[in-house]
This record gives sequence, C-alpha cells and structure tokens, in this order.
Amino acid sequence: MKRFKKITTYTALALLPVFANSCTDLSEKVYDQLITDNFYNNKNEVVSAVLRPYTHANAWTTPGQNGWWRLSELSADQLAWPQKGRHGYDAGNWIRLHYHTWTIDDGPVRDCWSLLWTGLGFCTDAIENINKREASAMGLTQQEKDGYVSELVLLRAFHYLRIMDIWGNVPIVTQVGIPLSPETKTRKEVFDFVEKEILDNIDKSPVLSKSLLGRMSKAGGYAMLVELYLNAEKWTGTPRWDDCINAANKLINNEAGGMNGALELDPNLTDTYKPDNDLSKEIIFSIAYDYQISNFTPQWTGDFYHFNQSQINGNTLNGNDGVVVIPGVYTTFENADKRKKEWILEGPQWRYGSNGTVPVISSGGNEYNGEQLVFVDNIRKNKQGSTVSDMTQGEENSGVRFNKYKLGPTSDPHYRSTDWAVYRLTWVYLAKAEAIMRKNNGAATQEAVDLVNAIRKRAFAPEDWGTHEYTTTTLTMDELLAELGRELIFEGYRRQELIRWGKYTTASWWDHSASEGFRELFPVPQTQRVLNPNLGQNTGYPN
Amino acid sequence: MKKGFSFLSRVCLCSMYMLLSSLWAFSQSRTITGKVTENPGGTPLPGVSVQVKGTGKGTQTNTSGVYKLEVPQGANTLVFTFVGYKKEEVVLGASDNANIALTADVTGLKDVVVVGYGTQKKSEVTSAITSVSAADFRQSGARNAMDLLQGKVAGLTITRTGGTNPNTGVTIQLRGVTSLTGSMSPLVVIDGIPGGNLDLLQQDDIASFSVLKDGSAAAIYGTQANGGVIIITTKRGKSGPARVDYNTYFRKEYVQRRPKFLTADQYAAKIASGDIITEDKGYRTDFVDLLVNHSNLTQNHNLAFSGGNDMNTYRASVYYQDQDGLMLANSRQQYGGRLNVTSRGLDNRLTASFNLSTNFNKANMLTDGGNLNGYYTFNPTYSPYNPDGSYYFEQTSTNELARLHQQTDIRQQQTTSGDAKISLDIIKGLKASIFGSVIRDTWTEGGYADLNSELSYETYDSTGYAWQANELHVKYALEPTLEYNFTVNNAHNITAIGGYSYRYEVDQGFDAGNYGFVNDVFEENNLGAGNQLGLGKANMGSFKNDNTLIAFFGRLNYAYKDKYMASFILRREGSSRFGANNKWGYFPAISAGWNLREEAFMSNLTAVDQLKLRVGYGITGNSGINNYVSLVTMGTGGNYINPDGIWRQTYGPNRNPNPNLKWERKAEVNIGVDASLFKGRLTGSIDVYKRVTNDVLETFTTQLPPFVRNSIYANVGSISSKGLEITLSGNIIQSKQLTWSTDVAFSTNRSVLDRFSNDVYKIESKTYGGIGGYGALGDAIRTFEGDRIGNFYGKRFAGLTDDGKWLFYKADGSKVSPDQINSEEDHAVLGNAIPKYYLSLTNTWHYKGFDLRVFMRGKFGFDVLNTMEMFNGNRQSLPSNVLETAFTKHAKLNDSYQYSDYYLEKGGYMKLDEVTLAYNIPFKTKLIRNMRVYVTGANLATITRYTGNDPDFIKDTGLNPGIDALNTTDDRRPYLSSRGFILGLNVGF
Repeated sequence: MKRFKKITTYTALALLPVFANSCTDLSEKVYDQLITDNFYNNKNEVVSAVLRPYTHANAWTTPGQNGWWRLSELSADQLAWPQKGRHGYDAGNWIRLHYHTWTIDDGPVRDCWSLLWTGLGFCTDAIENINKREASAMGLTQQEKDGYVSELVLLRAFHYLRIMDIWGNVPIVTQVGIPLSPETKTRKEVFDFVEKEILDNIDKSPVLSKSLLGRMSKAGGYAMLVELYLNAEKWTGTPRWDDCINAANKLINNEAGGMNGALELDPNLTDTYKPDNDLSKEIIFSIAYDYQISNFTPQWTGDFYHFNQSQINGNTLNGNDGVVVIPGVYTTFENADKRKKEWILEGPQWRYGSNGTVPVISSGGNEYNGEQLVFVDNIRKNKQGSTVSDMTQGEENSGVRFNKYKLGPTSDPHYRSTDWAVYRLTWVYLAKAEAIMRKNNGAATQEAVDLVNAIRKRAFAPEDWGTHEYTTTTLTMDELLAELGRELIFEGYRRQELIRWGKYTTASWWDHSASEGFRELFPVPQTQRVLNPNLGQNTGYPN
Repeated sequence: MKKGFSFLSRVCLCSMYMLLSSLWAFSQSRTITGKVTENPGGTPLPGVSVQVKGTGKGTQTNTSGVYKLEVPQGANTLVFTFVGYKKEEVVLGASDNANIALTADVTGLKDVVVVGYGTQKKSEVTSAITSVSAADFRQSGARNAMDLLQGKVAGLTITRTGGTNPNTGVTIQLRGVTSLTGSMSPLVVIDGIPGGNLDLLQQDDIASFSVLKDGSAAAIYGTQANGGVIIITTKRGKSGPARVDYNTYFRKEYVQRRPKFLTADQYAAKIASGDIITEDKGYRTDFVDLLVNHSNLTQNHNLAFSGGNDMNTYRASVYYQDQDGLMLANSRQQYGGRLNVTSRGLDNRLTASFNLSTNFNKANMLTDGGNLNGYYTFNPTYSPYNPDGSYYFEQTSTNELARLHQQTDIRQQQTTSGDAKISLDIIKGLKASIFGSVIRDTWTEGGYADLNSELSYETYDSTGYAWQANELHVKYALEPTLEYNFTVNNAHNITAIGGYSYRYEVDQGFDAGNYGFVNDVFEENNLGAGNQLGLGKANMGSFKNDNTLIAFFGRLNYAYKDKYMASFILRREGSSRFGANNKWGYFPAISAGWNLREEAFMSNLTAVDQLKLRVGYGITGNSGINNYVSLVTMGTGGNYINPDGIWRQTYGPNRNPNPNLKWERKAEVNIGVDASLFKGRLTGSIDVYKRVTNDVLETFTTQLPPFVRNSIYANVGSISSKGLEITLSGNIIQSKQLTWSTDVAFSTNRSVLDRFSNDVYKIESKTYGGIGGYGALGDAIRTFEGDRIGNFYGKRFAGLTDDGKWLFYKADGSKVSPDQINSEEDHAVLGNAIPKYYLSLTNTWHYKGFDLRVFMRGKFGFDVLNTMEMFNGNRQSLPSNVLETAFTKHAKLNDSYQYSDYYLEKGGYMKLDEVTLAYNIPFKTKLIRNMRVYVTGANLATITRYTGNDPDFIKDTGLNPGIDALNTTDDRRPYLSSRGFILGLNVGF
C-alpha cells in the first residue's frame, strides 16, 4: 500500500504540468489568411468586399469558363466549339450544348449554376456584413454605407436576372445559409422580386461616372430593367414594351450618367473593343481589366485563340483553339459591311506587323503543322478531302474566328486591359427598336428604323450607306434578328434573341436541327436537387 | 545435394577434431567427453559447437552428437552453441563426462519488438506487428529509406511512381485506402520522434523497421495512426572496443523498356510511303536519347564509429552520397551524419540518450520525366538545332534539350533533428521518462532561364526569368511518460505506461520571381536587378501556418505465465485542425494473445515450437488534413479598380464553415496466428483483418443557394477493407557450409467505398484519375457507393466500323458511335486498378564465404489504363511521332481519342527485382573484423503481359491508381525505367 501511495504521488507530480491550461490549448492562430469576423474594419476592407462579386462576374459573364456566356452562345446559332482532330472533344460538353442534348447533370450547366449562385452569395455576404455593422465602425459615413448596400443589391439583382434567364424557376434567397433548403419559386415570382429590388434601389444608386468604371450604377440599373422588360413577355407571359422603352429612354436621354461624359454611341467599330476602351462613350456596365498595374486580365483568350494566335497579335497569348463561328454566319455579313473583316478573322494569317509578308506557321503537331495557318469558313477534314461537316469533323483551322475585342500587341501601353462590355448603348438602341416594333405587331416604325440605322451606319463607308440603309419596309423582324446577330455577335445575347423570336428550339442551323421546346430553359443540376428536396426541376426534364 | 554437402562437412569436421586433439595431447589438461542431444526427443545433435569458456579452445559434436575435448587446467565451464538452439553452459564437476540436451530457440535474435513508446517481447505481442532488420533490407541502394522495405512486409504497399528519380519519395499505403482527402501514409516514428524525416535516414544507419499494422497496435498514436505506423530504430553502439564500419557502393543504371515510338528512319520511311503526310525535314534525331544521362554513376559512402563501456555507449556516422538520375539534370548530392550517445548514471538508475542527425543535400530538380512526353512525340526528322547552331524553338512545344542547357532549378536543403530522452528508475519497476525532439527542415530553391532560353523568349520578351523560393518546416514534440512494471506471484506480469504528448508544427515560406535582366550574369542571385519590380510583373508570395496536436495516452500490458496476454490502450487526442465543436476524441484498443505451446495438451506435438493466437480491436483517427479547414476565411479574388482609381485586392469568403469538422475514425479487427514449426525451420504469421473508416472527410457540394461557396469539407463517408496477410520463412537447407532459406510475403486486400452520403450531403459517385491530354477525356475512375476503390468506369469497346470509326456498346447491347453513348446509362465498370494480390519471394543461399540472394516481387489481378496507347498509338496524333502500334495493332483505327476498355490491359507482373552475390573475404588478421564485397543487379527482368511502361512504377495506392500516363498531373511521373548494377563493399575493423 505504501508503494502504491508513492506511485500515485509520482504520477501526480509527472502529470501536473499537463493540466496547466496552455498544455491543452488547441485554439488556432491564423497567420496568412483573413477571417470574416476580423474584417470590415475600415473603408478599404469594405470596398474590397463590395468589389469581390465583380471579379467573380468575370468568371461567368465573359467567355472562358462554364458560365452564362458559354451556355448562351454555344447553344445558339452563331458560335460552336467543334471537335478539331484530337482537340476539343472535352467530354462531349460542347457537342451536347450545340445539339441541345445536355443532360440534367451536365458539367457546363452545373458549373454555371455554381458560378452564378456563388457570385450572388458574395453580394449577400457583403450586404449582411455591412448591414450589421455601424457605419462609423467601418470608417464610413451613413451615406457611403447605404450606397454600398444599394449597389450590392443591384448587383445581386443582376445575378438573379441572369439566373432567371438560364433556369427560370429558382429559389429567392436573401440570407447566407438561411433557409438550408430554399424552395423553388416560379419565374414570375423571381421576375417580380428582381424588378422590385431594382426599382427600390435604383434611385439610391449613384449616376454613372468615370469613378464607377466597372461598377453597377444607376445606368446599369436601367440597363437591367431594359433586359428585364424586353424579355418580360417570354419570361412572365406579360409584355412590358412601354416599360422597356421608358427604361431605354432614361439611358438614351442621358438621365443616368455616362462613363465619359454623356452616354452616346461610339462613333466607329473599334472604340468599344480596343485596349483602352474605358474611354468608350457607350459602355454602361463592364468588367474592367488592367494588366499593366493590376494583373487582372480578360480570361477569354483560351476560348477563342488558336495555339499560335500570339503571332497574329504580336503578343504572348495563345489559346485552346476552341470557339469558332458556325459555317454560314460569316456570309451573313455583306462584303461592304466593315464588321465582317474588323471583328472576324478569316483566311491566311500573317505575323503581326509584317503587313501580310510573313505567314503564321502552325506548330504543335496538328493537321497543318509546319504550314501557314488559314482559317476557313467550314468545319470538315479538308486535309483528308472529306466533305462531312459536323461537330466532330473539325481540324485545327476550322471555322472563322473571334476578333472583336482586341488586346493589343505587347508594346501597347494598355495591352491585355480591354474591358468586357456587359451593357452598351448600342444594345439599348436595338432593344428599344425591337420593343417599338413588337408593340407595333412586328412592323417597323421610322423611330425604330432610325435607332437601328444609327448603329448600322458605323459599319459602312459613306458611299455604301445609301444601299444598305434600312427603311420601314426592309427592317422586318427577321431582318432585325439578323442585324442583332451581326452587331452583337460574340456578346452573349444570342440565346435570348432566338428565344424571343421563338427560334431557339424550332429553327435549324448548320448541323443543328430543331430540339424540344422545354430546352428554352436549362435543367436545374441534379447534384443540387439531390441536396435540396425543395428544388424543383424545369418542365420536360426527367424529375 | 543436401546430403552430399552434409557428409563432406562432417568428414572435414572430424578431421579437424583429430588434428586439434593431437595438438593438445601434451598439455596439462583433462579430456571431457559427452553427448549433445535435443530436448525434447533425445535425438543426437551433430555439429554443435563446444567451447571452453574463457579460452579459444573448442570442438564440435560428431554425427552421433558426441564430442571429446581437452580442457586446460583451471577451466571449468563448457559452452554449447548451435544455430537455432538456446545457448547452454555446463559447469564441470569431477566427472569427465558432460552430457547436455539443447532446447530449440524459436525467438532467437529478433525476440524483442519495438512498439509505440517501448518494446515488447515478441512472444508477448498481441497485435499485428512486422519487424524487418538490416539483414533483410533490399540491397539495390536506397534512394529513400522506405525503398529498403519494398516487398518485405505483407500488406505494406510501397510504390515508386517517380521511378528511379533520386529526388522523389515513394507512395506508402498500408492495408488499403483509409481516406479520401486526408493523409493516407503511415506515421513514421524515428527513434521516438513522431513524424520523423526520412531524409535523415541512411540505409547503413538503420537497425530495424517495426510496422504496426492493425488498429490495436497503432491506437497508441491516436489521430495519426489510420495509415498505420512505421517505427524506425537506428543503430546503437555496444559496449566493447571501438568498432569501425565502412560501407560503400557504386551504381550504374541503364535504360530499359523504352516505349517503342517510330525511330527517325521508320518515321522518314512512312513520310516517303505517304503514310505520314508531313515534310521530311531531313534530320534523323533520337530526341529521347538526348535526355538520358548515359554516364550516370551513383556512389555512396558511410563511415561509422561505435563502442562504449558499461555506462556509456556511442555511435557516430558520417556519409556522402552522389546520386545521378538516369535522366540529365536530375541528381542529388548529399552528406551528413548521425550521432547517438547513451549514458547511465546514478547507480544505473538514470539513463540518458541523445540523437543528433543532419542531412545536407543539393538536388538538381530541373527534370523529373515530365519532359519526356514532348520528345517522345516530336517529329524525329527535325533537329533540336537551327542550321546556324542555335536551338530550334517553336511556340507550342518545348525544346527540352535547350531547356537542359539554358535553365536551372537547384534545391539546397538542410534537415536536422535532435532528440533527448532521459529516464529515471524511481523505485523498482517505476520509471519516469521525458522525451523531447525538434526537427528543422529548411530549403532554398532557385532557378534561372537564360535570356536566350525558350521560356524567356516566348514568355519574358527575351529578358530571362529568375526565381527563388525558400521554406522552413519545424516540428516540436514533448512527451513525458511514466512506466510501471511489476510481477505478482511470479505469474502475472503487468507493464503500464501513461503519458502526455504535445506536438507543434509550423510551416512557412517565401518566394519571388523577376524578369527583365540585361544579361545572364546574376541568374537568381540578384532578383532585384530585373526591371519588373517597378513595372509590377515581378511575383512574390509568402505563407505561414501551424497546428498543434495534444494527447494523453496509456497502455496496460498483462501477461500470465507467458501463456495469456492482453493489452489495453487508450489515447485522448485533440488537434487544432478540428472544428470548434469537436476538438477532442478518444482512441481505445484492446488485444489478447494465447500461447498454445505453453498448454499441457500441446506438449506431445513436438513439431510445433511455438503457436500463438492473437485477436485485436482498435480505434484510430486521422488528423492529416490541411490547417484551418474548419474556419471561414476570406480569400483573395483578384485586383479590381477602386473609386480612387487604384486597383486593390478584393476579398470574399472562400470556404463554408464547418465547426463540426473532426477526425476520420477507423475501427479494425485483426486476428492472427504466429507459428514456428520443426525447430524453427518453418516460421510464419497469418493475419486477417477487417477495417472500417467512418467520418471520412470529403468536399461535398453544398446547397447553393443559400451558401456562398459550392462546397463544404465534412465528415460523411465510409470506407472499409478486409484482407489477408501471410508471411513465411523456411530454412530449407541448414548445414554448416550451405544454407538456403526462403521468405515469402503475400497479401490480398479489398477496399470498398461503402458510403459517401448522409441526410445532408449526398454524392452519387466519386470520380478520380483525370486522363488529361488532348480532348479532355474526363476521369477514368468512377466509384459508386458500395463499389471497390479503383474501378475503371466508361465506355465498352464494341469494335470499329469498316472505315475505322469507334463503336461502343449501349446498355441494351447495341453498337453505336460515341456521341450516342449516354454516360449515365451506357457506361459500365471496365476493370479495377488495384492489385488483388501482392507476392514477394526472397531466396538466400550461403555457401562458405559466399551468399546469394534473389528477390522477386509481383502484383497480380489488376488492370492498367494504357494512356500512351490511347494518345500515341493512334494515327490521329500524326504528324506528331506515334508508337509503332499506330501502324500495327491499331492500324485500322481512324478516329479521335476515346477512353474505353479498349485501352485497359492486364497489369499483373512478377519482377526479378534484385540478385545479390556477395563474398565474405576471410582474414586471418585481427585488424579486419569482416569484409564483404557484393554485386547486385536491380530490376533485371519483368514477366508481364502489359505492353506499356514498367508496371512497377504505376500507382497502385490512393484513389487514382492504375493510369500509365505521360502527363505529370495526378502525381504520375513517367520517368524512364532503368536496370541498375551495384558494386558494394562492407568492411568492419
């Protein structure tokens, strides 16, 4: 017993230090990351959270990732990502988008859902965090605080707008994490919610000015209303043409400000797309880039550029030889239409600055390895003498290519800094013209013709203009759709346009034949429906 | 043969005995005779060594077990020794006759096994523990200490996915997959240091490995033990005169099993014949050969001094190693040392042991086999040079030869560990110890691309590119323990140990890069000289993170008369990495053993020397996850323009919070038998186990909305595996001059992903193994709940159309083109990438001074996806160079790349891994204790039906196994397979 006592004593002594507090302390000290609770302490921190959804919008609203742009353009009648030899099969993603045969858990659809709702979550998270803190605790005035919140609400509405465009019926959620399994609302309910959010906040938002480059503003709010009302008939069953015209007029009449003085159309085909297009007069809302001082650069080069594209542009940017213009689209541009050569690459390619003397030689072991790169307006295996043309029959040079936005040669002081316009005044003009014509049972009025001519005139030499000017007779609804295609090519709106014209699932183009009517909406990803029992599926898709 | 040798040896022995007897006939002494027999049984034992204690005099028993020995005056003890039997001493009385019976010694030298926080008599071990000592190590020159164990421990999978690249480690996995996202490797404990650094171990310094395989053994290591535990013990000095050991080897490697791409001549001929439509540039280049280091030579030197007295022992070693890779710009030079001092004081009650070990290495990291793919497929009628002698560059490929000469990537690393353990015997049986250790691992890596290099030309406007990175990793451990050992009534032996463990690890690093240099003088040594610091394109980053692991643990071992044994373990452990609601967990284990041999009913079974039954159950955990994963952190989102016109970083939440995050929890049952038969001629162990890992962490898709991020890291899944392991050793021939022994290790394991969904989080299937390459073919492996891990899942090949287009089976059996295949309905399980059976076989012969060891190793019952055939055995890849099979085996194929079972092959193989022939040179001088020279051939032959790269290097661990690939994603490094030859020398003074 004595020995036992001794043992107990020694054990207790040995373990004594162990029970001191520090010896069981497992709290974490974070050295190189920020924790939300310690954030929003000054204006710069607040601004950095307010701006987070914008850099994220780069991911889904511009080409380059499985976002709104890819779903909208690669399923429409102008652009496709065909398989080119050994490249571009990509799990059949682009083939299914093109043929409208996507499944309920297709990668691009799932990714798009995730990107859009995450962006929306960034808005909501910042709104919640700013709202729950006193303005003074964040180093803001009350006015600044309210301004940031209303900007974020508008930006969140922009996310809902695009979510509604793709899926129609979705949940409405305004808090992070609550409720855990939100239920699907009808497209009409979502529409009403978005409209209300915009209308409630538009007047609290600042008018567009240079300091709001790349930001949501009052002008962006009206542009959203234009998009909302333009599609209202399709989205809710109730046309809102007058509301659309009124919202467009706010912008046309310069009541919401402009980035470089009064909002007006850019005078030519290049100002809107050049490396220093932050000087554009017509851009209403853009994703802003600056490579030179911030390293934030456009992500779309991968989708559009050939493996040897850098030689064409005199810079270091090559791509995955992905998205091309569908055969037959190039020829919808008349030869006199300057947009044809200015915005699209066709034919033999030459090294930058060589004035057509030094050819771009294809390398990388593909079909035309060691030969001059020539973009052709067809998709077939010319090297093998084949005439079969479909999504699986491409070669590295198949299809004419995107050249609308220019990033400049390396030597350009604004190299790789070209902003991506989400809304521009041209699009507002065309939307207003369309609303006027639809209100007028599809017939053009002189007002509508003037609006379209105003944007079209830039594409023609004065001597050609007389024969290419629209009149109330020549500007039919079909012609308007064709002109929208030419003017807005590559900008992401083609799916919306085809749907408004009732052609998205009924028309045929190239090797695409009519699909099923329910394909006007994409399916809610199965992975999400498995998690959230309150999430409905769109009509037509397996439930 | 056996009989012949025995007979010869006996004749020799008898002759020697006669000679000796005659020499000693005249000295003042007496002659002792006697007979040595075996106990039990009474069979005479021939060849037993009989020595007069304290003298050099001795003899051996004859064929009848009889000996006769002259014993000098004053000597009164005889010592009887015989391999495999317990040593006996007999004190001589008045009689001139001394008979004795020897008992078989079944435990022999390996009778003590290292377990967690202590050692245990092998006969009392109740868990699945395998020990491997230096004599059994692999012999082809370890690039990593774990190489020594490859194929030696049943159930322990060690794979060199990086081939023989001296700068890569091995992937280690014990008894199948235990995690999806956390650490799957065993915990390595070196001389008590948990998480020990393998760089600090040289093969000549290691005494033994002890592998704790099942949960009942490993539970003492709590949340680090799901992957098992490997305890490594280094060599110690022994009391006695100073010993010097010098070990060295030289190794030369040769390319073997190079993939058969068209040679330049074949390629040119096909251009001429119109099979390849491209221009013949006129050169004939073997591009891959340009990357091979034909003059490779590896050397290793290790010099150790050891010795001591009763109170102090020491061992100190230094080493130098220069390892050349088989590929150019891939090498490792290292040197360092290891020191151990053990002292006893305070009337033997205080023991202190100190270890200090360090490694300095300089590694050329520029190549790792990732550069092979571009050169395999490069048009061989090109030259790597332009006509003017400069390197030929093109935008879409890398001139790998130029890269070797125009770029550098050197890592200089130093790792040091020090530990001390001080123990005090407080009273009889009660010992208090404190152990502390620190490991400091630091490296600087830097590289430079010349102004004229391709990287600089194509990306940095020909202004060079320089970068440096350095990292510092420090691990501390402090572990006081209290151990109590007592025996009650000479029958009940109890050993109890309790302790506390505090571990802290911190990692930090810094990196920077710059370009815009005017010449190549500075390289990476003056980063500020580039012009991009001002222009904003220089890059810089740093990081720091840490974690703390705290535990209380105890173990109680009970043994009753060597007959019944039981062991109880409990560890309570917490990690800072776990969520706020789940910081601490309990990890208990229980195991029991029964030595049947000690039972009366076994006494007549003389063939059985030992028979022990073991049963164990233990719970372990896994805290091997990233730091801070339970917290919501704000992540950077790229710069955006602020209202003041300045571009600043944006921040948003980059993780959904999970305050419930906790350890993965494994429960394992192990049943084993250890047996020794026929006087130790056949020994072995059989273990069967079943393990279930629950709360497996995986990133789950969250409900989005309402969350911000689309994923959460949560404990949901369950993995189980069961298996069988057999280890056998047989002494087939055991005579004085010739011995032949065989060791066999066999294992089989089946791992199943039982579940990865619960009420909240659901995943229908998990996919792994991105195929990569052109066309984004997706993941090769897809596992549904309840499926085996490593299932290849995809399209089923149904033939080719007449014009060579793919046809695949739909679920209904019809044959269709790939675009009509629905991945949800028509894809199927095509095969499995994880070997069902592992077998290794060691045969060792000793004949006089020679010994020969042949080591074979194999894996059976699995499939490999041959992506090289997929991408390069297809004329679609032309005019890039292709495999010969594009024109032979796949000649009919005229379609793009598709993943299907067409490219699955049986991967099973048996490899003649090592053959070592050694000669122990006999020296008559006392100056040299021993000298052994040996030659080893490594990777001599592989029997397999697999047609791709060496199947031995294909990953068979983890979740993305079985893909033989050329790209470097997914941990696949297509290093060239090599055959190596080693000339080695061991000398002891």
